[in-house]
Amino acid sequence: MLQYVNVTIDGAPVRAEKGTSVLDTAIHFGICIPHLCHIPGIHDMGACRLCIVEHVKNGRSKVTASCTLMVEEGMVIRTNTEKILKMRKNIAELLVAQAPNSKAIQDIAVRCGVKEVRYPFRNEDCVLCGRCVRICKERAQAHALGFIGRGKDRHVDHPPGRLMDYCKNCNGCIMFCPMSVTPCGGPMKKGEERLCGQCDSQLNADAQKMPGVCVWCELGKGFQCTRYLAV
Amino acid sequence: MPRVSHAKDLEIIRSQADGRKSRTRLELVIPNGTCCQASGSAALIDAVRAELARQGLQQDVSVRVTGCLGFCEQEPMILVEPGNILYCQVSAKDAAEIVSRTVKKGEVIDTFLFLDPVSGKRIEKEADIPFYKAQSRQLIHMNRFVDPFSIEDYIATGGYQAIAKALKEFKPSAVIAEVKASGLRGRGGAGFPTGRKWEEAHEAPGDEKYVICNADEGDPGAYMDRCVLEANPHAVLEGMMIGAYAVGASKGYIYVRREYPLAVKHCRIAIQQAREYGLLGENILGSNFSFDVEVARGGGAFVCGESTALMTSIEGKVGEPRAKDVHTVREGLWGRPTVLNNVETWANVPSIVLNGAKWFASRGTERSKGTKILALTGRVKNTGLVEIAMGTPIRTIVYDIGGGPKNGNRIKAVQTGGPSGGCLPERLFDLPVDFDALWDAGSMMGSGGMVVMDDKTCMVDVARYFLKFLLDESCGKCVPCRVGIDRMLEIVTDIAEGRGRPEQLDLLQELAETVAEASLCGLGKSAPNPVLSTLRYFMEEYKAHVLEKRCPAAVCKALVTYSIDAEKCTGCGVCLKACPHDSITGEKKKPHVIDAALCQRCGICIGECKFDAITVL
Repeated sequence: MLQYVNVTIDGAPVRAEKGTSVLDTAIHFGICIPHLCHIPGIHDMGACRLCIVEHVKNGRSKVTASCTLMVEEGMVIRTNTEKILKMRKNIAELLVAQAPNSKAIQDIAVRCGVKEVRYPFRNEDCVLCGRCVRICKERAQAHALGFIGRGKDRHVDHPPGRLMDYCKNCNGCIMFCPMSVTPCGGPMKKGEERLCGQCDSQLNADAQKMPGVCVWCELGKGFQCTRYLAV
Repeated sequence: MPRVSHAKDLEIIRSQADGRKSRTRLELVIPNGTCCQASGSAALIDAVRAELARQGLQQDVSVRVTGCLGFCEQEPMILVEPGNILYCQVSAKDAAEIVSRTVKKGEVIDTFLFLDPVSGKRIEKEADIPFYKAQSRQLIHMNRFVDPFSIEDYIATGGYQAIAKALKEFKPSAVIAEVKASGLRGRGGAGFPTGRKWEEAHEAPGDEKYVICNADEGDPGAYMDRCVLEANPHAVLEGMMIGAYAVGASKGYIYVRREYPLAVKHCRIAIQQAREYGLLGENILGSNFSFDVEVARGGGAFVCGESTALMTSIEGKVGEPRAKDVHTVREGLWGRPTVLNNVETWANVPSIVLNGAKWFASRGTERSKGTKILALTGRVKNTGLVEIAMGTPIRTIVYDIGGGPKNGNRIKAVQTGGPSGGCLPERLFDLPVDFDALWDAGSMMGSGGMVVMDDKTCMVDVARYFLKFLLDESCGKCVPCRVGIDRMLEIVTDIAEGRGRPEQLDLLQELAETVAEASLCGLGKSAPNPVLSTLRYFMEEYKAHVLEKRCPAAVCKALVTYSIDAEKCTGCGVCLKACPHDSITGEKKKPHVIDAALCQRCGICIGECKFDAITVL
């Protein structure tokens, strides 16, 4: 039998299934928390930190990622305070500066309200969200991908350094990679990177006014918002 | 092999050791920790032993090889007891003289005594040396009595009495109450109350629990954990035993990095000896408490000092932190309740149980009790390991213990807490060293590194140094830490190399605040501290770099120009020959000039010039 706990998210009391994360619960109830590395049904690692929320406990609020935070009875969560929005915007800005050639990340930047990118663009191919690694491990059960190296040397590769037989060629890694779809204007060459921002108009007026509410924005399709995946 | 199955057996070993001690006339204490070995103590010990044998004095005089005594700068040293005479910076060739004069005739050899750089006088007794005098030594003080290879030495100092007392007189909850009352806080940096941690682990459901000693010390310039573990491993073991008894654990790990081979060796020998004596294993001291410890070696990753990363590393996985929304005291190693404490924290536990919470709490400030070992390094006269009572002002540490600035420069700042800590300016030197005061000032206690900086240190360069370290040592799992540190370094490098723009200062501040809040683990959250604290206290230096394109400390190479003072230059031509870039020209006996376009600012000419004629601005 399913057990439920009572959680307050952005002032709204909701009944959440025990054992789910705050992020899943919020999305289930139509509260928008932008996210990148989260895939429903797969273990979360809390890498992208876009889904940060404020967890209020004993009068003190703590910033933590909502994907790795499990719901508990009486929990109070704030998803779109000014502080959180500012930090989320900054993280989205870091991501888009790192990898502007991704529609998903460009869309996230728009959703998080990034208007300008103050860091030099880098045009990298991977933001180490770990979606491929976890899909390979948990859904395909192939363990053909992993993280190698530490810090700035960290990268995704086949653990021995070359493609092994145990890759099942399921293409799950490509399907779930946020970098596999380029921005609408086509791939950007080095030196031509920019903040796309074209989808700003698609984000209807309601979304601007209510950053915390899911408006089924078109952008969600771009960054594989789990609300679309769940339907 | 005596087997300790009752507290009385400890007394017997102790009295035997006392008896042996009374038969020797003199004792030479020679520290031989990693730092001492680096300055040649091993050869000294061999030479002293050989010389004693040659003169037939082995029966009369005992040599005790111990861990570091703290004054690392003056090593190798010999402490002559009784008499408390300290010989500093002695080498193997001095052994014959020391044995024939001091040991045989009881003379004090003036030239080997400590030369106080402040007063310029020789000081005979160790206790009178200002470096030691202003300290409040408890843990390091024990080092001189204990040969780390000898469990008997440790028992002779009252070792393993605390666990005997705990097992006999205390219930686990009473031990926790005692530690709680003592006000002991975690020495690893965050300062979490140890008693509360133990209590939560004690109350956490589960039969299988663990205790871990975190000896993965990785801060640049900090080595107090290595010193304690090398010099007195049994104190750590005893602390862990008491902790295990209190929380109900039967297995412990000492996580120590491979870079500390001596600490690993001493730990293993200590564990082996404790097992042989029956102090580890089943039914310790005749009670029904069973406990064993294993050494887990780490690969030397800074991030493995973080509790969750350390635990995944022990489990055999990649050492990466995980979200800590459920604390490790509930779900730690292998998902079981786990108590993880720092080396120094564990080493403090036996004395709390033995002497009582009140005794421990008699030192320190209201919310930080006891003593703390700091690694004092940088531009001060005396450097080494310093143990002070909590609440001692920074000024006392820098000027009284450290002896003030080297080379007559003005001390500008002190960096506390390693890469996660911050820089505090000279005007805050009256701040007491305790967890909360440092935290409120934007720095932290950290593991206790204390680097003193003078006006020849550029604070932008300091921030850059620590960011580089953190970039290499970040695990790379989460975006704010991995990318954020990289971007902060990019901005700080821009500033240091003269490309800084004023708006970058605001961006740096904003980014640092984001990284501090949004990162996954404690290391990421504290990583921007070097930037935040330098921005807070040394904004004028940043502004000088950005607005005036000037480095006030003349450190940032892109912003300085070398020139020759025509009045001081004698035209000797030394600099001309030394310059690898042929940027100096001039005729003999006439002032030389530096071509700024060719000058690479390597600084070689400054070292060569005997007339201080080369200025850097």
